[in-house]
Amino acid sequence: MATSVTVVLPGDEVPKSSLPTPTGKKKTLTLGPGLRHIPPDTITATIAGALTTDNKKNAIWIDTNSGRYIPTAGDLVIATVQNSVAENFNCLLTPNTPYASLPHLAFEGATRKTRPVLAPNSLVYARVVSGGKHTSPEITCVDPSTGKSEGLGPLKGGMIFKVSLGMARRLLLKSKGEVIILELIGAKVGFEITVGRNGIVHVDGANVKTILAVGKALQEVDEQALGEKGQKKLAERVLKSL
Amino acid sequence: MAPEAILSHLHRADGSATYTHNGYCIIGAVNGPIEVQRRDELPEEATVEVNVRPAVGVGSPKERHLETLLHNTLRSIILTSSIPRTLVQITLQVRSLPEEEADCGIDSSLAILPHLLHTSLLALLSASIPLSTVLTAALVAIPSVSSSPLISPTANQLLRAKPIRSAHVFAFSGEGKLLLNESDGVFSLQEWDEAAEAAEEVCCKEEGGVGLGEGMEVDGKEGDNLDAWLREVVMDKVKWETRWRGAK
Repeated sequence: MATSVTVVLPGDEVPKSSLPTPTGKKKTLTLGPGLRHIPPDTITATIAGALTTDNKKNAIWIDTNSGRYIPTAGDLVIATVQNSVAENFNCLLTPNTPYASLPHLAFEGATRKTRPVLAPNSLVYARVVSGGKHTSPEITCVDPSTGKSEGLGPLKGGMIFKVSLGMARRLLLKSKGEVIILELIGAKVGFEITVGRNGIVHVDGANVKTILAVGKALQEVDEQALGEKGQKKLAERVLKSL
Repeated sequence: MAPEAILSHLHRADGSATYTHNGYCIIGAVNGPIEVQRRDELPEEATVEVNVRPAVGVGSPKERHLETLLHNTLRSIILTSSIPRTLVQITLQVRSLPEEEADCGIDSSLAILPHLLHTSLLALLSASIPLSTVLTAALVAIPSVSSSPLISPTANQLLRAKPIRSAHVFAFSGEGKLLLNESDGVFSLQEWDEAAEAAEEVCCKEEGGVGLGEGMEVDGKEGDNLDAWLREVVMDKVKWETRWRGAK
């Protein structure tokens, strides 16, 4: 992480000097969200944010924590089932967007005879298969190569909490995201947590009190941008109240 | 006086901004990209919807007129082809107007237009909607008596400079291209040129010492550069979003 941040506005050209210098094998440059390539060799920003580069992966993208979640292939999301039509469940990733389709057979062990039954408004943890701009997104609950669920599937019980997209990314980054509150609380009470890239966190635990405490603590870490010390203090407070 | 802006403060909207300048206060909210109604759906590009709500009462033809102007200008900077078959909904609520607004002698829809443009741009930036460029806008008023044009004047300045012969609104893209011009009143082509030049100076970033004011000596008041202001606002936004990195 560079110490000085380059902030770009839409329309700003990314200078050649800020492009990543590939360290590994010779790879093609990868453009992440918020950048657009204008042939032959101009790269301009389309959103406002901090320009971030990764030399190892030879990638460059714009880091922001605002806006709506845009489905991208490979993302883990928590989707809400709306209804079931023909061979698919229609699911919502964010409100007021076109449905994402989840095939009935995209569950572990599902066959034409034994289809999963999901009531409207039930939650599933799924992976985005395709998210192109010209088609509606498609999600799946199995790894297509192994046919195993790999932790994906319907989420039972618990509650969901909304966090910012940046917070969801941090939680999925594990140690690099600098969120230690879960380990601190988890050392004393047991709970289960599922993070969707679309800004939804599902928490399940022994009782409602634990679930609420964990969910609220996560939201507080997100809103107040608590660092290590702040998270320790918050964890102590939460554990005392339980 | 540089405008004040607060970004992303409405938690239900995808992007939002409150903008305060010269007695005008406008709240902008952007939702998008969201699902579009079938009859408004465009196969190759995003639909842009602009709603302007006045400070008092319900919308009138004046608001419809402003909506049309905003719609056309914003559509040209939003990368509509990168989010096809979606809707970008922009809602602008005027919260307060300056006290002297009613009798400052220029068309009230012209006076508010630059502020509406800035608010919608900030809200779009906050919603991370893909844009091809940014925009900045300024109002230029040419009084009948003195010849020097007033740039982004307050309502009070306008009241004192009355009668105003002509008023112009200019909007420029980040590259300094003219995006929108609305003019009202009696003016010559030369006056228009002067006004455009003056507006360009406050709106666009300076490029290496060019253009040391011909029409710029406005009673010694340095007009803050709007491009620099915009960068500062975005810098603050980035700082706010990444504050967890250095937090204790």
